[in-house]
Amino acid sequence: MYGRKACELVKEFASVGKGQLTQYNSDLFEQVVAECSQHHLELQSLIRKMQEEGLDVQTARNADHYGALIHHLSLVRNKRCLMAYVNNRAEIIRSLVWKIGSVLPKEIEEKLSHTEEEYFSKYSGELKKYMSKMELDLTVDMVPPKDPYIKVRVLDDIGDGIVLSDKTANFARHSIHFLKRTDAEQFISRGLMEELTG
Amino acid sequence: MAKYYDIDDIITEEEIVSVIFQKPASGVGIDPSSETDFIETGSKVELPFWLAHELQLRQAVSVNVPPCFNQKTRLEIQADSASVDLRSRCPFFYEFGCKIAPIVSDRTIGFLLLSAFKSRYKEVLTKAHTAAFAAGSKFWTILTKEEINLYEAAQSAMISFKKWRKGGPRFQIASILGRKRKSTE
Repeated sequence: MYGRKACELVKEFASVGKGQLTQYNSDLFEQVVAECSQHHLELQSLIRKMQEEGLDVQTARNADHYGALIHHLSLVRNKRCLMAYVNNRAEIIRSLVWKIGSVLPKEIEEKLSHTEEEYFSKYSGELKKYMSKMELDLTVDMVPPKDPYIKVRVLDDIGDGIVLSDKTANFARHSIHFLKRTDAEQFISRGLMEELTG
Repeated sequence: MAKYYDIDDIITEEEIVSVIFQKPASGVGIDPSSETDFIETGSKVELPFWLAHELQLRQAVSVNVPPCFNQKTRLEIQADSASVDLRSRCPFFYEFGCKIAPIVSDRTIGFLLLSAFKSRYKEVLTKAHTAAFAAGSKFWTILTKEEINLYEAAQSAMISFKKWRKGGPRFQIASILGRKRKSTE
């Protein structure tokens, strides 16, 4: 009550490093929403009590007024914590689309709620629409380019016959390829390849 | 309202302050020591900062100086501020001090914060730029959240500089996927 559970939710979000996601805590979220309803009920009963005593609700400053005020402030605080939780998670999801592309890796998919997964797919769909209208891929070149081609080593089995912009390639594990930077960037940010230097 | 969604700001405002109620309040179970829902005038209650701040604006409570700014801490900071464990006192020492200074009747908090920060700042930067990652860890545990942000910014600046000089791989796995990648068979 009185914002403590809501603060727990926020602290849980902050407990992992910056830019990391925790498992979506739907239980705690629901509990905080239920607390909001509870505060609202208490607020209404106090206001009703004041009206029954014949006091003007706007200007009277008795004990009931301050009680109602505390309930109102707790409600607003709960709202703030819930909004911040959802908003910060949404920000991280948006940055995911830019870094990883439109396919969600499994370990992240487990951490998101159903609505957040929908948000991810809708956002990446909108981005694709925008990029296709401009005929420009905005998600490459996140690091300023030095060379058009880079040498990469494949870390995970991606599969055979992957179609790239200028050829098809077979990506067996631990094989080394000389790829165009724009193609490789996507695989590197998903951790499937690593860049070789020197 | 630029900090509405800011997580650190929300956690800072959750710090407990002790207040004295100037007006009574009924129907609230916020005081754990009282048996009824009624808070008497003049009763001392521990409230989170956000609630105390709003009530003080409406003149319903008066706020006491929180314990992290008491005489003991002041003497320790005057003696040697670089080794005072501010994190155990209050992990958001500076932010909280800035917020509480206007509503508590104590004019010296501002000077206290400034002098503590000035002397600790030098320590933070020298340690961040020179110590290796593990060696600075003992020092790290006494820093407040704001100082840790500074420390990490300085460290990452050093690491980027070294990487630029050496010339390492410029593409990295997306940070959200973690450092170790498990191979899925």
